[in-house]
Parts: sequence; C-alpha cells; structure tokens
Amino acid sequence: MERKENRYDPLLKEVWARVRKKHFFPELPHPTISESMDRVALEIKSKHITLSQSFMEEAARHLPMDKVIEALLDHGVTHYTFCPWDFHTHLTLYQEAKKVLGDKQMAQKSTDYFMDVVADTHCFKEKDTPISDLYRHMDRGVLDEAIHALYQRIWGEDLNVSGHEDISRRLSRIPYLDRKPWPESIHRFSKIIQGLLETEEKSGTLNQPNTMGQNDFGRYSSDEMDQGLKEFAMSTGDPGEFKEVVKDLEDELKEAGYPSHGGMGLGPGSPLDADILFYMKLAESYSLPIKKTPIEKSGSLYPDSHSPWELGKPFRDIDPWTSFGKIMPGITQIWERREGETFGEEEGTPNCIVVIDSSGSMINPRQHLSHAVLGAACASDAYLRNDATVAVYNFSHARSGDRQVLDYTRSRMKIYQTICHYFGGGTKLDIKDIESLQQPSRPDIFIITDMQITNLEDLVGYINGLENRVTAVHIGDNTHVRQFRRSMELRKNISIYSVQKKEDIPKIVLGKIREYFRSVS
Amino acid sequence: MINPFEDFKKYPYKKREIPLDRIVQAKQRVMDQIVEGYMKLVEQEVKDLVWLVENSRVFKAYSFALRTIQELDYDVDDIEELCFEIDKGRRIPYLISGPAGIYVSALCNNAKEERIRLRLHELKRTFHFLGYRLPEGKTLVLEGDVGDFIGAGLSGGKLIVKGSTRNWAGAGMMNGELFISEHTGQNTGGWMSGGEIHVDGRIRGVAKTILGGRIYHRGKLIVPHSTTARE
Repeated sequence: MERKENRYDPLLKEVWARVRKKHFFPELPHPTISESMDRVALEIKSKHITLSQSFMEEAARHLPMDKVIEALLDHGVTHYTFCPWDFHTHLTLYQEAKKVLGDKQMAQKSTDYFMDVVADTHCFKEKDTPISDLYRHMDRGVLDEAIHALYQRIWGEDLNVSGHEDISRRLSRIPYLDRKPWPESIHRFSKIIQGLLETEEKSGTLNQPNTMGQNDFGRYSSDEMDQGLKEFAMSTGDPGEFKEVVKDLEDELKEAGYPSHGGMGLGPGSPLDADILFYMKLAESYSLPIKKTPIEKSGSLYPDSHSPWELGKPFRDIDPWTSFGKIMPGITQIWERREGETFGEEEGTPNCIVVIDSSGSMINPRQHLSHAVLGAACASDAYLRNDATVAVYNFSHARSGDRQVLDYTRSRMKIYQTICHYFGGGTKLDIKDIESLQQPSRPDIFIITDMQITNLEDLVGYINGLENRVTAVHIGDNTHVRQFRRSMELRKNISIYSVQKKEDIPKIVLGKIREYFRSVS
Repeated sequence: MINPFEDFKKYPYKKREIPLDRIVQAKQRVMDQIVEGYMKLVEQEVKDLVWLVENSRVFKAYSFALRTIQELDYDVDDIEELCFEIDKGRRIPYLISGPAGIYVSALCNNAKEERIRLRLHELKRTFHFLGYRLPEGKTLVLEGDVGDFIGAGLSGGKLIVKGSTRNWAGAGMMNGELFISEHTGQNTGGWMSGGEIHVDGRIRGVAKTILGGRIYHRGKLIVPHSTTARE
C-alpha cells in the first residue's frame, strides 16, 4: 500500500540527509512521519524510524521544526550506531537490570532509560545536535525529570529541571560512554533509579512507554536476533541464566518475529523452548569438522619409484632406460609399484546416529551446561550442515522404558528435543535400539556418555563388530572410560575424545578414522 | 576518479568536553587513591596470618587508616563505591572483613558530610566494625544487614542500622546512639561504658560485662535492669 504524503516530508528529507552525513551514513532506510502515533516521540521497527507528527508539532511550539526532526533522528540513529548497537548488548543490559530489580517491567524500563542516556550523551558529546533543546521543553514524568536532571549535570546544559539532586549526583558517576563496563554501569544505574521505578509501579505508570519511545526488539532483524542469542548463549554459558532472560522476553521475541521460519532455525510454528534454544545457539558457535567418506583404493597399481633389482625379483618390472641396458644386480633398476587411489562411490557425508546418555550420572541439561548435550548438538548440526540426516537414541535405563528413539530426520527441533530430554535414571542401553537405526549405507555413529553404563561390555562388543565410523566421546574420566579405551585400542574405525570442558568440544573431529578403508573390510 | 571520502570533507564534526568527562575522571582518581589506601592497610594487617580482634590492634589499624586517608578529597558516594568495589573483589583481590570495616569507618568519620548513608543491601559479603568510633555530630545510616562489632567504640555519633547486626553490636561504645531496626546477635553491648543501644528486633544475647550505658529492646529499657541495680 502506498504511503500518504505527509506535509513535513520535504523537510524530513532535507534533515535526514544532514543527519545521515553527521552519523557517517548509517545503513538505515529513509524515516517516515506518522499522524496516528501519539504516545511516543518515535518508533523503530526493522531499522525504520517513524516520527510522531503530534509530538513534533507539540515540540515545534518551542523549537524550529527542522531542529525537532533533527533531534529525534539523532536520538534514533545513535541507538544504532552506539547503544545498544546489537541484540546481544541489549540482552546483556536487560539481564543485569533484571538481577537488580527482579521484575521484568522494571528491568525493561531501566534498560530503556540506560540506553537512552548512553545514546543521547554520546550524541551530545560527539555530534552537533539539538537534543538538549528538545529536552528543555519536553513534558516529563518523574523518571524523565530525574534523567533530565542527570543530563543537566553531565552535559552542563540547563534543561529547565530542578530537584532530583541526590539521584542525579549518584547517576552522574557512571561512565556511560565506556562500553566495557556497561553491564556494571547498568547494575548501578538500576539500583539508583529503583526507588523511582517502584513509585511508578505503585502509581500504575510503569507500563507507559518512555516519551522518546521504547527500545523494543522490533528494531532487530531475525538474523540479528539469531546472532545475538548465539553470542548471549556463549557469554552466559549457563542454561538457567539464558532461560530466565529468554522466557522473560518470549512475548517480545515472538512479536518481533522470532523464531525465524527456515534455515537452521527452530522451524515453523515451533514453540520457544529456552533450554533447547540455548543449546541450539551455543552449538552454532562451534563448528565441528566432519571427515568425508575416505578415499578408496582403486586396486590398480602404477609405477611410482625405482629400486635396485635383485635376483628373484620379476623381470617385468625392470626399467631398461635407467639400467644402462644391463641385467645385473645393483645396477639394474626396477619399478616399485603403488596402489592407486580413487574416490569411493558414496563420497560425501553419511547420515549419523547420535547416541546420548541422559542417566543420573550425567548433568541435567536444563539446570546446568551439559557438555554431553552440547557435544551431541554440535555433532548433529555438523551432519545437518552437510546435508545428512540424523537419528537420535537417548537412553538412561532403556529396558525400563527410559529411552527415546528418533528416526532419521532433518528437523532440527525434533533432534534437539530428543537430545535435550533428561531421564536421570540408571544407565543401561539396548543394543537393539541402535541396531534398529542401522542402514545399509553404514551411518556414522556418535556416542556421548560418561561410560558408566551397566552393560558397557555389550556396547563394546557391538562396536567391535561394526564397520561404521564411530566417534565416541566420554565426559570425565573413570575406570569405565579407561576400560572402553583399552577395548577399542585396535579398532581403526573408532575415534575416542574426552570432553572435560566446553572448550574441548571443538577438538572433536567427526568420523575421523585411523588408516581405515572401507574397501579393506 | 571520485574520492570515496569526498563527502566527509565537510563533515560537521564537533566533539565537546562535557562535565561527565571531568566527573568520571575525578571519581576514578579518588577511587584509585582510596583503593590504594585500603590495600596499604590490608598489606600491613595481613602480615599476621590471623587477624585478631584486640582493642589495641583495632585501634592501630584505625589510626593507620586515618593517616592514609587524611589528604584525600572524597565524598560519601566514593565511600559507597568502595564498599561495592571491595564486595565485587575485582580491583581489590581480597576482603578481610575487619580491616575493610575499619577502613570504611575511618572514611566515614573523616568525611565532610555530617550525615552519611551507605546502601549495603545487595552486598554479598559482610562488613564488620562499621561505625567504629563514630564521633559526635556524625550520623551514619547503614541500609542492609551488617556484621560483627557494629558501632564498636562509638564516640558520640548516631549510628542507624536499617537491618540486622551480628554479635558484639555496640561493643566498647563510649557515647552516642546505636539504633538497630531488626535483630542483633550475642554479646550485644559488651564492655560498653556509655551511650544507648536501641534494638527493634530480637536480641540473641546481651553481654555479661557492661560497664555503663543503656540498652533498649523494643522501646523498653533492659540494661540496666533497674536504676538501683546499676547504681
């Protein structure tokens, strides 16, 4: 639908050119003016800034219209160019505010105000901006007043505010323009304005948006959110902390169009399970290499190098050109032949059976960071990225029904749901379950366990008889692990890795084999 | 050929000095000095592996702290920030609760402000000896739970604790008032010789040796039991 022409559009165009130049030409679409928006000064959705006409006209009673527009655009653009900058920073700031305030709405409001202070102060210091002129004549709530009292103090400009001496003095000690301590800064910021937020809560005004607009998630693209969640999962490293933030902001994330539909996302219509999302995002940060199906021996021999002929060696290999025409031991040279190599018929990545132990001796992935789940998630991702399919066998006490078998699929959500399931019981697997997932094309097998399996000898016996490439990963070290390692020492199709910390996971190479050629078997 | 940076030639660049720069720099400078003073005190006190609570020892540490901070120009916000720094343990690698509290007390007693409010609610660690030797004319308000020996040696000041104290609250206090809005631990008022302690919550135990002064529990005088007994 074509947008209705606004009478301020020519002025907006002129000012936008000026603002863009001032902010080093940010990659933002042309802003627009809305006649219907009246609660806030501006709104940012998918990088697009919309200014409120009613706000502009109100502010223009005290300030030329071009200055009003410029100030609003400076504010909006600086949120992109300086704070929060990206989704990860936004989440981190929210997380810190929530730690102090313990309430979602208060934390969101505190985060909004903190980001406004940082962005406005940066803009005021670094650019020629009329922001202070705009704020001087703005209608203010109590919290706005306190923040403007802070501006007055830290900008050295009279903004026509009085009072809030104590709060503004304490707030002025925070190094807003220093990015590194932002989490600590918002912690202190939230603590200082907590009283005012509680007053707003009591008076029922807490849910009203900030005058300059809410910093909601609608401004980020799905890709930015994906990346931000990945970085956030990495930085928290704890499913509990991750879950708390993601659960809090679930509605906002959904409203902003997350999760994405397609690619390696959760898939259409999938509910936002914060635990699964945590491992999903964390796994995306580790890219495990897969050895493609190895080169096969072609069976044909070709002349490779020379060696002296000796009595008893066949005459057919004699190279007359390097033998001076003589048949004489020590002088005559023969060709040494080597077997040629060629790619096998099924070059590429096989499918994979992920076998994961979720017994009581393993960490519950929903409470703490589980290296087993993360490892299995990374392995699954690696196979999916290589166009293979993944089957999952999650077991605890399999014979008592503590097991989940997921047939080959490319649904990332289903795979993660099965991997993240925690039984927490005894540890006994049923070989038949794994056997049921075997395919004629010999899928790779990825096993991750602490090896404290009651019927470990069954597993050892089964693996010993396999021709599949097996990647076995053990969590921790114990006698069972050593026993398993000893039993597998001679097997060339099995690679064993130890994971003690999450940094060990990237060292895993899937399907790595030692001098193992399928043609031999 | 077009210069890709042509547009930036007329770039209206304007970077101004704002008061925030000065405030943050000054704060940082003062904090560095305060932290340095605290580290000196800790270095001195840590020489003996066990920090013993003896009157002479405590006074010696306090005197050292006073000497260290004498020349510093700080305010109440700096004191509060020091408490957070000590609690976080990032810049200050170790906290010895006794010397830390004594150092904070010395800062409070030497501060320009007559009324000091420290918001200690969210600190994970507990400070002892806060309000040590608080002089007359000073009011110190501690918000949050605090440790042992709070208000020890109180010297005429008014110490208000909005929370609980642990053992030996008001130990050896000579004069002044100590108000505790919640509970207090054992040996409350031990060796006190003057002043008043008011406790609104539970008192786990009053000290056996009290030389003088008064202790009130929920507004009721409990030490001395009766005027005649005291006299």
